[in-house]
Amino acid sequence: MELSRRTLLGGFAAVAGGSLVGCSSGMNSTGTPAKKNAATELTMWCWPGGLGKSVLDDTITHFPDPKIKYSEIGGDFKQKLITTFNGGTSIPDITGLKGEDIASLLPQAERFVDLKTVGADSILGDYLEWKVKQATTLDGKVIGLPIDVGPTALYYREDVFAAAGLPSDPAKVGEQLKTWDDFFAAGVQLKAKNPKALLVWDATDLYDMVIGQGTERYISKDNKFIGDQDHIRKAWDTSVKAMTMKIDGKTPSGSPDWNAGLDQGTVPAHIGAAWVALDIKSAVKKTAGKWRLAPTPGGAANFGGSFLAITKNAADPQKAFDVIKYMLSADNEAKAFADAQIFPSTPAAYDKPQLKAADTFFGGQVPIDVFGPAAKEIPVAYQSPFDDSVAAPFHDELKTVQTGAKTSDAAWSAAVSKAKAIAKRQGVQ
Amino acid sequence: MTATATVPTSTLTTTPARRRIWSYWRFYLALSPFYVLFAVFGLYPMLSTIVLAFQRWDGLSARKFTGLDNFAFLVKDPTFWTALENTVVLFLMSTVPTLVLALLLAVMLQSAVRFTNVYRIAYFIPNVTSLVAMAIFFSSIFSTNFGLVNAALRSLGIPQQDWLGQPWGIKIAISTMIVWQWVGYNTLIYLAGLQAIPKDQYEAAKVDGAGAVRTFFSITLPQLRPVVLFTVIMSTIGGLQTFTEPQVMVGNSGGTGQSGMTVVLFFYRSAFLDNDYGYAAAIALSIFALVLLFTAINWRIFRGRSEDR
Repeated sequence: MELSRRTLLGGFAAVAGGSLVGCSSGMNSTGTPAKKNAATELTMWCWPGGLGKSVLDDTITHFPDPKIKYSEIGGDFKQKLITTFNGGTSIPDITGLKGEDIASLLPQAERFVDLKTVGADSILGDYLEWKVKQATTLDGKVIGLPIDVGPTALYYREDVFAAAGLPSDPAKVGEQLKTWDDFFAAGVQLKAKNPKALLVWDATDLYDMVIGQGTERYISKDNKFIGDQDHIRKAWDTSVKAMTMKIDGKTPSGSPDWNAGLDQGTVPAHIGAAWVALDIKSAVKKTAGKWRLAPTPGGAANFGGSFLAITKNAADPQKAFDVIKYMLSADNEAKAFADAQIFPSTPAAYDKPQLKAADTFFGGQVPIDVFGPAAKEIPVAYQSPFDDSVAAPFHDELKTVQTGAKTSDAAWSAAVSKAKAIAKRQGVQ
Repeated sequence: MTATATVPTSTLTTTPARRRIWSYWRFYLALSPFYVLFAVFGLYPMLSTIVLAFQRWDGLSARKFTGLDNFAFLVKDPTFWTALENTVVLFLMSTVPTLVLALLLAVMLQSAVRFTNVYRIAYFIPNVTSLVAMAIFFSSIFSTNFGLVNAALRSLGIPQQDWLGQPWGIKIAISTMIVWQWVGYNTLIYLAGLQAIPKDQYEAAKVDGAGAVRTFFSITLPQLRPVVLFTVIMSTIGGLQTFTEPQVMVGNSGGTGQSGMTVVLFFYRSAFLDNDYGYAAAIALSIFALVLLFTAINWRIFRGRSEDR
């Protein structure tokens, strides 16, 4: 065909028309029934380290038809998932959802298969109830099956504790440091003996721990702002107390000072989720074997833990559910723990040999003896989709108290007014 | 568009002007790849950002048209004003030292006789290293108990500072990093500008008995004016979009008292953490307006007088 202006224009018109259609399908992002994926393969997305490798390989061989195609998505996972949803093509059948994103994805429940419709009822009881609740909408749909959880514990240096005349045996530490006040008193005693060792690694991090120990957060179930109420103020005051008692190390976890301080003894304790063990192990050189675990003062909290969900685009939701059910069975979760310290969300896994193993890093202590009971006692709190946005001013303002720029009361009222403005913008009463 | 294909060609060739344009279609075709790509990846996102600024969107559900709501909330949002102030302060704290240092280095480098290429490469290295890696490196340097800067202070008997925990410390750390990264780049641009100044002007100055300082201010600086304008505008565009340094050093909250919260960091937080895309689009437009304003100011300062000639 001779290349003429007319055919060219026609060609351009077709391309332009096509691209406009392509863009507009991204625009009408609701109300369109989800396109089913082809049934020839089952696509699965997760992030690096999200699933145990041996479990993943085993699952892929276990389900030969249709073949499972696994993609590891690096970077900002949630962002890439949202972009793909908006694009409307190549949406995975099964996708991981991170714990910190689940609350904001619940309003999008219609994009996921309600697992109760594909037979999840019979197995939901095998998982920790509070964790399943995180993926349950207010009208009772369950959009994800828990992969793992992040129960907290007190990590501490037994040699530093012993040198300061504090109990160093895990059982005795658990007995003596039952509440935050006990913990702070121990901090004062430790500092008197050893001025460099500050028991609270960072008071602003500790604030989130106290919030996580409660049954309420910033926004109530009926969409009312409750961030100015006593339960938040109590967490705030607990954090400020650590600052005024001068036992606040101001070294947020993961900072260079925190990493160095773990070995040096300036950070003799840390309260964190089960997965923090990996961070501590990789940060310390000299003090392996001197660390111990005790229950969190004031009760356990949870940080992190993800889900596997099935999208509405899945060709065969039932088949997809069989895959995640197999993958997240108690046996496989125990394997995943052995693989990559992915802490199981099924209590039955806590009795498996992989979790019962003693850990030389903790001087032969069995970590599950601390984390297992903690995982079972974590309180259920409703988390609104806007929880993170509303919490931000509290963190910002608490830092100004920490540096001495503001008084606690001034910072508190600033935080509340900022949080109220954000809540109002998000349609919270 | 398809309609044009069905129009008889005679109408297209009625006026001579039309005909002249259409007779060049091959040239337009050759130019078109850029414009097509720009339309898809540049123009379309820009236009959709403008549309989005007047909507509420959480990234997944239906978009709601809300008129000027986003902007109304923006002007009342204390965080936005904090971010604006931080951005301007950081811009001044980093751009002024960067350009002054770069000019000094360029003049010194011009008079260097040996190893000039080695110097040039060395100056340019910071500009091509990974920003994130460097930000992590710099936060280690500025860390409180085990950081290099505090170790130096302690050895001089000055009490150590909590650099990344104090509002001013955060700003110093961030601007230090920007200066470190951009001095070399600007030095090389100035150096190219210096090469273009005619040698006979310098010889004439020598004959007239001008010293090095007088020569610099009477010949070098005025001749470099267009190059300075270029670097100032480039630094403005870059400096007002500071994001990676504070994000890695002090996190998404902008650190203590939101001292490291820049406008782009605020934009990022609104879009990708708060899922408030409409609001983020409104912030993006405000960044655009800010860059435009600053560029106009620079243009007037550095070009105003030379245009009168």
